[in-house]
Amino acid sequence: MRCFIGIDLGSTTTKAVVIDEQQNVLGRGITNSRSNYDTAAAIAKQEALVNGRFHLFREKLSTTGALNGSLDAFLVQLERDFRLGQYLEQLVDLEATCRRNLQSAKFGDATRGVEEALAEVFRRLAVDAPALFAPGAKRKSDFFRDIAGSQYLATGETVAREAGIRYDFLLNVFDRSIIEVENRVYADSIRRHLLAALERAFVALPETASRRAAVEAPIKGILDTDMVETYIVGTGYGRARLPFSKEHIRSEILCHGLGAHMMYPGTATVLDIGGQDTKAIQVDPQGIVESFQMNDRCAAGCGRYLGYIADEMNMGLHELGPMAMKSTKTIRINSTCTVFAGAELRDRLALGDKREDIMAGLHRAIILRAMSILARSGGIRDEFTFTGGVAKNEAAVKALRELVRENYGEMTLNINPDSIYTGALGGATFAWRAVMEEGKSAEARA
Amino acid sequence: MTHTIGIDVGSGAVKTALFAFDASGAPQWLAKRCERIRRRDPMSLAEEGRDGVLADAGLAAGDIDYVATTGEGENVKFATGHFYSMTTHARGGVFLEPAARAVVDIGALNGRAIYVDERGKVLSYKMTSQCASGSGQFLENIARYLGVAVEEIGPLSQTSQDPEKVSSICAVLAETDVINMVSRGIATPDILKGIHLSMASRIVKLLKVTGIKEGKALLTGGLALDTGLLAAIREEMGNEKVNVDAVSHPDSIHAGAIGAALWGEFRHRKLAALTERAVA
Repeated sequence: MRCFIGIDLGSTTTKAVVIDEQQNVLGRGITNSRSNYDTAAAIAKQEALVNGRFHLFREKLSTTGALNGSLDAFLVQLERDFRLGQYLEQLVDLEATCRRNLQSAKFGDATRGVEEALAEVFRRLAVDAPALFAPGAKRKSDFFRDIAGSQYLATGETVAREAGIRYDFLLNVFDRSIIEVENRVYADSIRRHLLAALERAFVALPETASRRAAVEAPIKGILDTDMVETYIVGTGYGRARLPFSKEHIRSEILCHGLGAHMMYPGTATVLDIGGQDTKAIQVDPQGIVESFQMNDRCAAGCGRYLGYIADEMNMGLHELGPMAMKSTKTIRINSTCTVFAGAELRDRLALGDKREDIMAGLHRAIILRAMSILARSGGIRDEFTFTGGVAKNEAAVKALRELVRENYGEMTLNINPDSIYTGALGGATFAWRAVMEEGKSAEARA
Repeated sequence: MTHTIGIDVGSGAVKTALFAFDASGAPQWLAKRCERIRRRDPMSLAEEGRDGVLADAGLAAGDIDYVATTGEGENVKFATGHFYSMTTHARGGVFLEPAARAVVDIGALNGRAIYVDERGKVLSYKMTSQCASGSGQFLENIARYLGVAVEEIGPLSQTSQDPEKVSSICAVLAETDVINMVSRGIATPDILKGIHLSMASRIVKLLKVTGIKEGKALLTGGLALDTGLLAAIREEMGNEKVNVDAVSHPDSIHAGAIGAALWGEFRHRKLAALTERAVA
């Protein structure tokens, strides 16, 4: 089948969206970009295609009715088990990488002790892994770096204390190794993990085992269907580094405008708060950009600000919003610079202010900055669409709603749960238009 | 015999110094401690630091005549008094390097250049303001991302053949800039050296504004031991034709705590004199 792919190479995460000939979204994929861009693009695309396969499984199985009633449970189980398999494979890889990097580290006599501690840490991590992917388990993040990282930090601290070795050494080995592991694409193993997970799903859900043949055949059939990458369009901060020719690159402003239009055709103003920039875009009724404003190279006021705060608080990015929602009074944050805001946060905590109140103040600070960028781009018009990673944050949305009402009055605020994929969707739509409307075919990199 | 403790609560570490003074007022440095904060409570670290130097010197809390805090130590409960960090760094810097006519403190969040006279009196000063670009925290973030231990930064930077040009960049977004450099295939030493040069240029500008014309400038604060930064500052002084000799000292990180302890003794002496006069 022909597929059209948009890849949005952001600073924090790289997103990919796959659409079919009817412009239906088949799959979405995301990965963290803290590695090299080619890899991030490859992984995001791969994730989107995997996600697309799951989408097709669901579609197919619901038409055949092979799993009537237990379809959701079965697919959830399948995906969970599939992810666990991937995680374990990366964990084994990380251990091997850590061991290799330990040999070149200059820890002197401590090396042996660190080696033993490493073995112990990874033994415990493997034991703990299934619980992370158990039904209902809450993970701070879905990225290997974050899951393995937080597990490693916690377990490493305990093991270092028990073994009487320096925790720094364990941290250093991890820092050296994680980038390498992140940069590997495990494309070959996807099919294997999926089939293994399928076997285990039949065991875990015995009631489905009797319908094995009716389930297995369509899944294998979809696995054998080639999802042809007919045309790819890249966008985002790192787009210049994508292995595509110029024909396959669009600016992120264009893609965000079009993506927002595809999600909500009534969109007039788009606010996108991404990892390291904030954009305010005015679009016409066809989704074409009329004017825009962006912030300059400063983390204050964009998503990275919250990421930094989350690191400071030793929390996952997902946890900040819910915490800020519990706030009962707003604290004003005076610092502009992100690093200074981090220091202000620590001071506030030391003075006894409540974490949730400080968090609410930090969220409001970001939105205040966005409001000034919006004003410079020509204000907010109805309908107003909010996209980017920060749109997933309920506390940021709450602050935005309040400030929009105060400054512009009532209007429709569109927020799509998949808004983080707006740029990638715009890219995929450009890819679709290039082939279906302009009759282009893919070009190799110039 | 007078005993004082100086505690410098920074944003990256808590430094503690214990001094004894004989009847003539000559200072003798008995003990020092330095503990990285790493998200712990600075106030309890200050207490640990005090207990640590007391143990090292074989003294008890009751033997101490004055506990002086500086930096962000206003809220240390057991302190006798607090001193502004500009004065403590100046005094501590001149104690470590009597020939210093400027003290350049590069801490985790701020950089400041202080122009001093031979007694450590502040003549003028200049501080970086509301942005952490080029601070210690900034460098540490970058090292962490490059997978380089903090101690390795200096030696690596000095092996650079072709430093990458880095303009002043946001401390937080620097991470992505560094990723860009790595993905463009630029060697770690060249990245570090480029960052050192960009920091050095800011520092030398700060120093020039204070009005210092010649003499030694002592680096203090957490980054003073970064040999790569020191080398970059010297290079930049040459480029900018500033006739100031940048030097460091193994105990540079303690400058604030030393200054606080010395000022603590001074204030203790003044208070004692006042009390005597009041009694008389």
